[in-house]
Amino acid sequence: MKIEELARAIEAHLIVPGGPESRSITSVYGGETMSDLIANAGPGTLLVTCLNNPQLMRVADLMDVPGVCLVDGCAPAPELLSHAEQSGKALLVSPVGVKETCARASDSIRAGRLAP
Amino acid sequence: MITMSYPIVGGDYDSAGIATRKLKEQLARLGIDGAALRRAMIAAYEAEMNVVIHARTGTLWARVDETKLDLEVADEGPGIPDVDLAMKEGWSTASDRARRMGFGAGLGLPNIRRSSDRFQIETRVGRGTRIRSTILFQDAGAISAEAPDAGVAPALDADRCRGCRRCIFACPVGALRVSGNRPLILENLCLGCAACAEECPDGVFGIRSQSAVLPPVPSGAILLIPRGFIAAFPVRSPVRVLGVLRDLGFTEVRLLEEWEEALLDEARREAAAGNLPLPRIPPLCQPLVSLIEGRFPSLIPHLSLFLSPAEAASEEFPLRPMFLAAACPGQFAACSPSSLTERLTVVPPGALKAAILARLGESSGGHESELIAGPRGNPAPGEAAASGARAVLRTLSWAETGALGHVSVLDLRLCAGGCSASPLVAPVPAAAGPAWMGGRRREPSGAAARPQPFRQRPGLRLDPDMAEAIRKLSLIDGKVRSLPGRDCGSCGAPSCAAYAEDVVLGRAPDNGCPFMEKT
Repeated sequence: MKIEELARAIEAHLIVPGGPESRSITSVYGGETMSDLIANAGPGTLLVTCLNNPQLMRVADLMDVPGVCLVDGCAPAPELLSHAEQSGKALLVSPVGVKETCARASDSIRAGRLAP
Repeated sequence: MITMSYPIVGGDYDSAGIATRKLKEQLARLGIDGAALRRAMIAAYEAEMNVVIHARTGTLWARVDETKLDLEVADEGPGIPDVDLAMKEGWSTASDRARRMGFGAGLGLPNIRRSSDRFQIETRVGRGTRIRSTILFQDAGAISAEAPDAGVAPALDADRCRGCRRCIFACPVGALRVSGNRPLILENLCLGCAACAEECPDGVFGIRSQSAVLPPVPSGAILLIPRGFIAAFPVRSPVRVLGVLRDLGFTEVRLLEEWEEALLDEARREAAAGNLPLPRIPPLCQPLVSLIEGRFPSLIPHLSLFLSPAEAASEEFPLRPMFLAAACPGQFAACSPSSLTERLTVVPPGALKAAILARLGESSGGHESELIAGPRGNPAPGEAAASGARAVLRTLSWAETGALGHVSVLDLRLCAGGCSASPLVAPVPAAAGPAWMGGRRREPSGAAARPQPFRQRPGLRLDPDMAEAIRKLSLIDGKVRSLPGRDCGSCGAPSCAAYAEDVVLGRAPDNGCPFMEKT
């Protein structure tokens, strides 16, 4: 699912669109620790978290994930924003918490897969 | 075996993760596969963060041979009083600062152990901790030793070179060097694209050909051209150019685009069948195929197993002579008689242009009905397109991560705008499309199955033999550290890393950097 479509579906704000316009999200994982995120990050995984610091983007870069989504409508830290722009990773901000964001994203991705 | 080391500073959260990032870049150059690389990243990052969170200083060591990666992270820190407790998930002594940043969840050491085939921890309270992790490669060293295609590189008119060095930065794979006013192409890296020709203000780069003039055109010949070719002439209507082509002996002019569309249709059928990996990548552009075979071998299964458009066109008219105005050196080499068929005569666009220009004033013109409709425009739903070397490289990098699995067909061309926009074809690519608008659209011609599969090539790897690649990388690593890191191009290479590689591989003298004595 395209990240722009996913952002619309979960009512998240797409702060940094990231790499090629057509890149996709195939799964979503939510976590509140870096160890949890890095252990479950993979190509196509959108990481959902409240960890608003530049290390989040470093983990995303190491694991080649397409983007990350902050939660609860928080404003991204300037360093995180800068890292996202430099690394080409997408950065979203969801208005709701980790669990609700994951549920919405998961439903949207599943619906996208089932769509003709 | 090669050993690499990266310092880690305790408490420096700004730089945390950089050691692992640098390790990742080196492992990728050795061709370490995705699954092993992913496990290595988890182990290295967790171990690095342990140092940042708990210790004063430390070092990340990595040793690589043909079968495994050994990681070792040693620190000067407080040590671990109870290792069994530390290995339990959820147990941590991290500071509040670390916890606020998302660390200290007590998952670091368990993550390292899970990611490792062998795991060992040694610690002394008050002295420090040493963590060892080994990751075994599943398919190390599996690479074809096949030599790259000969003759793919562009022709050089070296006397025209003024040494501006724009080309060394334009080449998407770093295959160009300039020494004094002499350009040099590293043929094992060259894709045969026209990026250097596009950037060069002096016309140094062209297409290799034995003849600069158009050979005699036999009766009934077909001319195959990229759409942009027609925009290369100072005329108000392409009808006049078509008339000249008829005068030259061509009874039919066909656009490469017809076979490009046929190839795209085959890729769409493959995608719809659902039994091949997505996205499907049709081999529309010969340098693109070379790029994937050399630099993105994991994407070879995504290439549709069909001939390129020019090759397929030749297959479609087995009894008629055909001429192709090649858009780039790669296309010229792929379609040259030695590699395909004697029915196809591949000519440099410059030779054909010269012949047309010589007759343009005398031509009575062709007929409006010969005009061919414009391109179809935007990609179909579910498909994606990128053109231009940088955009294609970025797209392939993404595709390699699996992030484009939802895309059915990837339409990729190394020239920005496709063959029509090759600088060797059209001086003003933007004028190429409108020049042909208004005519009828032909039905797509047929695609032709490729008899031989695509194969991985050494490409950018330092050596087909992993042990030798490791040795060379070790030498290059040492050389890079001695260089200033300006990437200024003064030495004639596009970056300090490229220059270091040149020195180690014997392509450049060891004293080529003008800033060495100042650093």
